[in-house]
Amino acid sequence: MVDIEIEIDGKVVHGYSGETVISIADREGIDIPRFCYHKKLSVAANCRMCLVDIEGNPNPQPACSTQSSFGMKVHTKNEKAKTAQKAVMEFLLINHPLDCPICDQGGECELQDVAMEFGSDISRFTEGKRIVDDKEIGALIQTDMTRCIHCTRCVRFGAEVAGIVEMGATGRSEDLKIEPFLSEGIQSELSGNMIDVCPVGALTSKPFRYGVRSWQMNSIQTIARHDLVGSNIFTQTHESKVKRVVARDNENINETWISDRDRFSYQGLNSDNRILIPKIKIKGEWQDTSWDDALDFAANGIKKHAKEGSQIGTLASKNATLEELYLLQKFTRGLGSDNLDYRLDAANPSNAKVLESNISLTELETIDHALIVNSYLRLEQPMINHRIRKATLNGASVSTINAKAFDFNYRISHSVLTSPQNTVATLSGVLKALLDKNSQTLPDYLNSVSVHQTHIDIANALLNAEHPVVVLGEHVNGNKCSDQVATLVSEIAKASEAKTLNASLTGNAHSAERVNFKPENGKNALQILSSDFTAFVLFDVYPTFDCIDSENAIEHLSHDDAFVVAMNSFDDESVLNCANVILPIASFYETSGTHINVDNIAQSYSASVKSAGESKPGWKVIKVLADLLNLQGFDFTDSSQIADKALSLTPNTSEIEVPISNSKMPNITTVWQYTPYASDVVVRHASSLQQTRIGQISEASVCKATAKLLELSEGDLYKGVPVNINESVAEGCVFVHTHLPRQC
Amino acid sequence: MNNVCLKSIDKDNPSSLATYETMGGYKVWHKILHGELSPEKILEELKISGLRGRGGAGFPTGLKWSFMPRNQEGQKYVVCNSDEGEPGTCHDRDILRFNPHSVIEGMAIAGYVMNATVGYNYIRGEFMEPYYRFEEALKEAYDAGLLGTNIKGSKVCFDLYSHLGAGAYICGEETALLESLEGKKGLPRFKPPYPANVGLYGKPTTINNTESFASVPEILSRGGQWFADLGVVNSGGTKCFSVTGNVKNPANFEIPMGTPFSDLLELAGGLREGRTLKGVIPGGSSTPVIPAAEAMKMTMDYDSIEKAGSMLGAGSVIVMDDTTCMVKALTRLAHFYYDESCGQCTPCREGTGWMYRVLKRIMDGQGKSEDLKLLLSVQDKIIGNTICALGDAAAMPVESFITHFREEFEYYIKHGKSMVENDG
Ligand SMILES: Cc1cc2nc3c(=O)[nH]c(=O)nc-3n(C[C@H](O)[C@H](O)[C@H](O)COP(=O)(O)O)c2cc1C
Ligand code: SF4
Ligand code: SF4
Ligand code: FES
Repeated sequence: MVDIEIEIDGKVVHGYSGETVISIADREGIDIPRFCYHKKLSVAANCRMCLVDIEGNPNPQPACSTQSSFGMKVHTKNEKAKTAQKAVMEFLLINHPLDCPICDQGGECELQDVAMEFGSDISRFTEGKRIVDDKEIGALIQTDMTRCIHCTRCVRFGAEVAGIVEMGATGRSEDLKIEPFLSEGIQSELSGNMIDVCPVGALTSKPFRYGVRSWQMNSIQTIARHDLVGSNIFTQTHESKVKRVVARDNENINETWISDRDRFSYQGLNSDNRILIPKIKIKGEWQDTSWDDALDFAANGIKKHAKEGSQIGTLASKNATLEELYLLQKFTRGLGSDNLDYRLDAANPSNAKVLESNISLTELETIDHALIVNSYLRLEQPMINHRIRKATLNGASVSTINAKAFDFNYRISHSVLTSPQNTVATLSGVLKALLDKNSQTLPDYLNSVSVHQTHIDIANALLNAEHPVVVLGEHVNGNKCSDQVATLVSEIAKASEAKTLNASLTGNAHSAERVNFKPENGKNALQILSSDFTAFVLFDVYPTFDCIDSENAIEHLSHDDAFVVAMNSFDDESVLNCANVILPIASFYETSGTHINVDNIAQSYSASVKSAGESKPGWKVIKVLADLLNLQGFDFTDSSQIADKALSLTPNTSEIEVPISNSKMPNITTVWQYTPYASDVVVRHASSLQQTRIGQISEASVCKATAKLLELSEGDLYKGVPVNINESVAEGCVFVHTHLPRQC
Repeated sequence: MNNVCLKSIDKDNPSSLATYETMGGYKVWHKILHGELSPEKILEELKISGLRGRGGAGFPTGLKWSFMPRNQEGQKYVVCNSDEGEPGTCHDRDILRFNPHSVIEGMAIAGYVMNATVGYNYIRGEFMEPYYRFEEALKEAYDAGLLGTNIKGSKVCFDLYSHLGAGAYICGEETALLESLEGKKGLPRFKPPYPANVGLYGKPTTINNTESFASVPEILSRGGQWFADLGVVNSGGTKCFSVTGNVKNPANFEIPMGTPFSDLLELAGGLREGRTLKGVIPGGSSTPVIPAAEAMKMTMDYDSIEKAGSMLGAGSVIVMDDTTCMVKALTRLAHFYYDESCGQCTPCREGTGWMYRVLKRIMDGQGKSEDLKLLLSVQDKIIGNTICALGDAAAMPVESFITHFREEFEYYIKHGKSMVENDG
């Protein structure tokens, strides 16, 4: 990149050759009006708002498409530039409805802002204004297409970022319309960004519609907690309610985008299903009570039922904050128990070494091959998938080893359909192919492994790449051989000099790992939930949804001698059944906390709103409970002290040897994947997301052969989910994708 | 007359390979295939010939070809613009109908010069007959071994395909044409980058008009100087003019550049009895109108027409006599641009509709005294501010009509009817 020098409005500024004038001006804080330009999208140069005078050019030139060249002299505010800008402004306004008083964009509208500076008070246009029919594009985005200024940002966003060609410009001349091509509307896990990119009120948030005026809200910087990226967001609040969530730029994390899950999940906070008052169960009857009574009840219950610490099992949500997880493990360990876990959905919560992530989000864009294992990455981790998609746009190829052929928004060059029980064999095949290519000696366990052509293809793709990455996703959690899968992934990475990304550690799992929220010698989640412990502490756990083998879990939690303290933010049938006391805790955005993301970046945030009803931030509840039980070391006065303490910990790294064996797994297995809008309790209560097509997914996919073995036909229910027979699923397994509570 | 592009027009079977060959066709191509004509020599001759692009802008063809990075690796393309949508123009159509092999040979030569092995001829959607004629000629050329790979063992390769458009005027704009050829909606691209660097499928591409290509074989066969001498300084050669409007014999005429307009009018049979000339649009609807007096003084070449206040454009001469209502004529043109704007960029999308509506209102008897000022101001805000030249094309007639025929507009606004009696 050659440094070049140009002059803008008399100021000498620097850029690299090929850089556009607007990009340099933006960096220098020189304001050039624009509508179609967006730093993350291709240049369209169609709005013409950014016209500037470039010496030597008879006509004004668009700053957004004009590449700077040495010695160029640009005037953004002289007579010629202003005349052109005013002309464009006038054209933009003649057909704009100017219904700002009833427009949700009012107050934050780019058109309104620029019009204040460049527009005229009186319109010379006296002909009738254009009216455009609105299109229904789903539960998240409200359209008011009469307001559209045809900048095509939304279209370009769809095609370039979301990877969906669903919005387009149809017709020509004044009939040019921006509309969805399909009647089903927009289906993308990133669709809400169209609202952010739309400079006017043509695309606004449907859940927010007519909520409050933008200037009445406070914008609070915070972090989204649903996935392992920790996207930066603003919560926009009014009267202590989150009214809207918008993206906040952070080049290293979410750039300028956020997933729909992060954007619209806030609706869950205002659901009717929140627990607002502490409750205790007396003789099988729930009654509301005061905090003091409830806490006493809880402390006494624990004392009474768990005479020995080892009789306590503690389970926490992977979405809890670092502070909560830290205090809760300290609490549990303080009581003398090492029975604690956050891996509620793990079929094999072993102590084996956790697969590390050693590639940063920004680095992901530079990979040239990705091998995705056990993941529908696009829906699980939209922002990570987006980075990989960006890499594919630069030529990277992607291969997958999955139980189902998923709908990725990039091309998959090699794909092996593999059931959970065959995953070890498939990965072994790839590893063997790699070691063969490298002429390395094979470990014994690979001797009898058979290598197929696709294994060789994938091995070649990894070896031919300069910057490959292997991504391991969520489906591994349900695999009884998850430790072997992780080990093989790590070996494959080693043999191909690939980086690894462990996307199975979602939510705030990195925080849980950091504070060792799992047993060293004690019982893990699976064991805790099969034990006859006499006391359980549940932290934002909803067994029907969160726990693998939930029926068994609920049975053990509900046994007569067990005393169950639930600190929860939402009401839940199964919790009501098994718990003895429910302490209402603050949910997302209601408490301060820290999220550690896949890059090991710890991002702390403060509460955006006060917690619902009488609920309290989780860390405070744990602290008081600890005090009541006379535990030492809980004298924290604010959460940042806890975070400091927690962040000084290092996770235990285990060096347990994981033998790769042809371990016996059932002939037929189930992979259970929630829709992204059923992944945690908050988002499950977000009503608009539930209405989207993604939110409504509920399908047990199975191939013909396996269906026959299971005696399933199309439309039957498999574990409560309608069966869909198709050949995109690996033989020997049923792939359940649903928002319904898990039944396996 | 008719001695370059239209020279086969009176022959039997004018479009056939045999006819073309009897007139010396493919002589140049054979020379190239025999290695007797270098790209440099061709560029040299083209420069001497003074051939300027016939598609409207009049850019020197030899110079344009020399911009192509001919030694750059990778695919390069040659594209012929036979979209001919400019109101008043119909000579490319006749070239395709009567002399398709000249276009094929011209494109093949271009391909050779620019090291582009693939060519496309983008033909206007409504041109079914010319399309079939061109396709037939293409087949003949392939059958005769004149196109393809390693043509006649020469190592020269050139494949040519024709593509039928879908009826949008904007697809005549070269970058919209490329988009359309790629299978996308015909939206002009912003420039730079120019097609010579980033063209069809992102590869270096040269686009020329049908007549430009058709002129090339004759120029190379008879010499650049011969061609230049046919015309005048700065406007070498001959040019096909389509004469339409209020003349007795509307037709295409290929005449030397520099021919007086009055002679051309004569060729077209002159005005009808008892009529007087009011104005002339010399280069197609996108060029400014010239009042009669000026028109009668001009000669048909780039400089003279420019001096008269307009442009040679695509050589589409629209003659208007005293029965023409200029308000109505302009309204019709304004409607055309309003209808044909691709809608992509703000000034054109919004401005063309605005101008048309104001004119329509005047025609409906609802004109206001400030309307002319408004129209002039709106067109001024479009000019130079758009992605492609359609914006300018829509604006320029407005300015020239109102400037030259202001009293007709004022009359219409004041009286709610046309100044021209028996109009229509
Ligand atoms: C709106 C618009 C329509 C055009 N239509 C045509 C056309 O139909 N045929 C054509 O040859 N050039 C047309 N042009 C000009 C082309 O963009 C281009 O300049 C030309 O094809 C170049 O060829 P030449 O150098 O041989 O003239 C049009 C330009 C504009 C702006
Ligand atoms: S809907 Fe919004 S983003 Fe899309 S083209 Fe219209 S104004 Fe631009
Ligand atoms: S000037 Fe008109 S036709 Fe050309 S790009 Fe703009 S809107 Fe389209
Ligand atoms: S911002 Fe440059 S043309 Fe739209």
